[in-house]
Amino acid sequence: MVSVRNLRYVYEGGIEALKNINLDIASGEYMALVGGNGSGKTTLAKHFNGLLRPTGGKVFIMGRPAAEMSVAELSRIVGYAFQNPDHQLFCSTVEEEIAFGPRNLGFAEVQTKERVGYAAETLELEDVLEKPPASMDLGTRRRVSIASVIAMDPKVLILDEPTTGLDADETKALMGIVSGLNREGRTVVLITHEMKLVSEHANRVVVMLDGRIVLDSDARGAFSDLELLKRCSLLPPPVTCLAHRLSHLGVSREVLSTDELVFELTRPGGDRR
Amino acid sequence: MTGFMDFYTPGSTFLHRMDPRVKILAVVLLSLLAFILSQLLYLLVLFAFIFLLLYLARVSFGKAVFALKFLFRFMALVVVLWPLFDPVGTPVLFELGILKVTLPAIERGVAAALRIGCLATVWYILMFTTQQRDLVHALVRMGLRFDFGLALAIALRFIPTFSYTIEAIKDAQRARGMELEKGGLLRRSRNYVAVLLPAIVSAIRTADTLSLTLQSRAYGARRDRTYLRELRMRRSDFVALSVAVALFVLPAVAKYILAVTI
Amino acid sequence: MPALRMRDVRFRHDGSSSWALDGVSVNVEEGEFVAVLGPNGAGKSTFCLLCNGLAPHAVGGVVEGSIEVFGLDVSKRSVPEMSASVGMVFQEPESQLFCMSVEEEVAFGPENLGVPRAEIADRVEWALEQVGLKGFNERPPATLSGGQKQRAAIAAAISMRPRMLVLDEPAYALDPVGRVELYSLLRGLVEKHGVTVIVAEREAEDVAPVCDRMVLLRKGRIARDGPPRELLREPDLLVGAGVSPPQLSELAARLRKRVRGADLSFFTLEEAEREISEKVLSRPGGR
Repeated sequence: MVSVRNLRYVYEGGIEALKNINLDIASGEYMALVGGNGSGKTTLAKHFNGLLRPTGGKVFIMGRPAAEMSVAELSRIVGYAFQNPDHQLFCSTVEEEIAFGPRNLGFAEVQTKERVGYAAETLELEDVLEKPPASMDLGTRRRVSIASVIAMDPKVLILDEPTTGLDADETKALMGIVSGLNREGRTVVLITHEMKLVSEHANRVVVMLDGRIVLDSDARGAFSDLELLKRCSLLPPPVTCLAHRLSHLGVSREVLSTDELVFELTRPGGDRR
Repeated sequence: MTGFMDFYTPGSTFLHRMDPRVKILAVVLLSLLAFILSQLLYLLVLFAFIFLLLYLARVSFGKAVFALKFLFRFMALVVVLWPLFDPVGTPVLFELGILKVTLPAIERGVAAALRIGCLATVWYILMFTTQQRDLVHALVRMGLRFDFGLALAIALRFIPTFSYTIEAIKDAQRARGMELEKGGLLRRSRNYVAVLLPAIVSAIRTADTLSLTLQSRAYGARRDRTYLRELRMRRSDFVALSVAVALFVLPAVAKYILAVTI
Repeated sequence: MPALRMRDVRFRHDGSSSWALDGVSVNVEEGEFVAVLGPNGAGKSTFCLLCNGLAPHAVGGVVEGSIEVFGLDVSKRSVPEMSASVGMVFQEPESQLFCMSVEEEVAFGPENLGVPRAEIADRVEWALEQVGLKGFNERPPATLSGGQKQRAAIAAAISMRPRMLVLDEPAYALDPVGRVELYSLLRGLVEKHGVTVIVAEREAEDVAPVCDRMVLLRKGRIARDGPPRELLREPDLLVGAGVSPPQLSELAARLRKRVRGADLSFFTLEEAEREISEKVLSRPGGR
């Protein structure tokens, strides 16, 4: 779905934000793109929808070179939901907001209505379609922003720190919706530094440091090297850290959740050593 | 991220160390002087003097070129266009229909260009050698109400942040298929609203928190607030001030009181 | 004299029909580190704004009940007056730093209070050192990282030498490492200088290890109030109140249920390691 070859990106001013990135994202994956501030994760993601163009190397979206397509064209395939929904919201009703994308892409009114309906239903916004986005709380505004991206029917959905500012229940609800989108077949790229979220949802983890990919594995593999994560300013979930500490007693290190650790600690012994 | 119109280059020249109040005053006086002088020769001297100051400010060549590139082009434009619109005087050098190029007009054009050059360069020198916050502080010390000084400082501080936010908003909307450059007038206006509205909302939100922060830091608690930074005039500052005043007063007196043509 | 005393406090924002705080009574002693936890909309921000008078003086609304900070009736004092006793830090670091250098920022408060120049200089150095930004005086705020910005905002608040510091979701814009550093900084302020700290948060994970007391806020009312160890023995309490408990506490609670007789009450990784190796893994026979 997304292919990156020898990607290099240098900012105006000379800072090399991306140094020789090679990455393939397959259709339907749920990938977490993680790293500390300045690791390059957002810079990389912005190449997927053309907001940034490579200084060197190539980006392919669905087999076609991204260089051949404009940002608008790419937005049909790769949807990008930004961290701050208020940077996107400006319409007087939620419905208009969600329709903005499809209308920009030239969808016919009938099709637009259909897309809006689908997006509103998926993001649980049917009840507030007539309300102004500005009057709603952060969680709802974020859902409106994601809905407005989904309405364009992208095959890939990039979410930049979607749970910032959300409380426990809101986070659960939103991540549930995102999982649903992934199950539908959409490729999800989750940019985050919350490792708990990663451990609960992603099936692939790409860790970046200083403009390079330093780890690319399934979720379990990602949490096996705590030292690396620490160097990247990432904190693994406490239960994973605990599992590592208890590994000398036979506890598996590859523990991603409380459930798993409880199971590990309470399963019948004997096979432990 | 450099500040808005932040041309400051660190250094330790006498210009850098000069009291900012003296610098502001000197720049104002020299600007006025450029208008008092009308003889080409004297204007050239002033221009050269100002460029000498620029050299003494040890500004990097690259930065100076960048700032002056536009200025020189503009000055050249003035020299070329002036005579075309000012047909007064003799001797006439060239005539073609209504177009009359006279020597005095060329001289006036050059004089105008030199004045612009003096003005712009002397203000550049001020900005190259003075940090923005020192400028604002100097203005407050010279009588500007603290509230206005604070408002000015806050504006200067937030302009780069604001433009950064606007870029982020543009990116976010482009990711929704919005194409700023395309479309008819109606479409384009709609697109600008898509960028402007979130930008304004963002600015208001920031202003809101800012206002709460200011109050939480006792802004307005007393009329007699103290200042951490002190501006004290040293001997060199008094000397510079006297030089600047003299440079202004002498020609002014010569021109307006003694009726000398300068 | 308690640092903060709220009696039956209710607050309704202008233009709103519901009470953001609906009958809150709480005492905070001087030198306590209190975490006010709750989901979005619980009233945490309102609680913070009431501590120094921003609500109702700056953020319009109706207050009922009494709020006293170090014995001073907040409703009868202006925000600038209160600011000498109560420092305030908000979520978004960017909009709290408005000066062109860190030094000016930190000096701003004391300057407004009319503190003599020499003392301001001392306070600036002291505040910067406390937050780990020593030497950052000349830096423009725009060049700082998120964590550094927030620390600068804290320095700017503590340079006024308030006896109480109120922070509304200060870790909002920070990455996980930054959050841990922030909270240990705050803990340091409490222990070294006896500052009373009140923090509003959505999650318990980062703040639980450092606070003395957790106050659960739900729909404008206090659901529970007690020391973290006590509250976290029943993480479901937090979950029910819409706050995610620390993962280790959840683990402890689940293990207590699964492993009969094991009294597990660990809180930190060290304690967890110790208790689990002693009580869970070394049990003879089945686990």
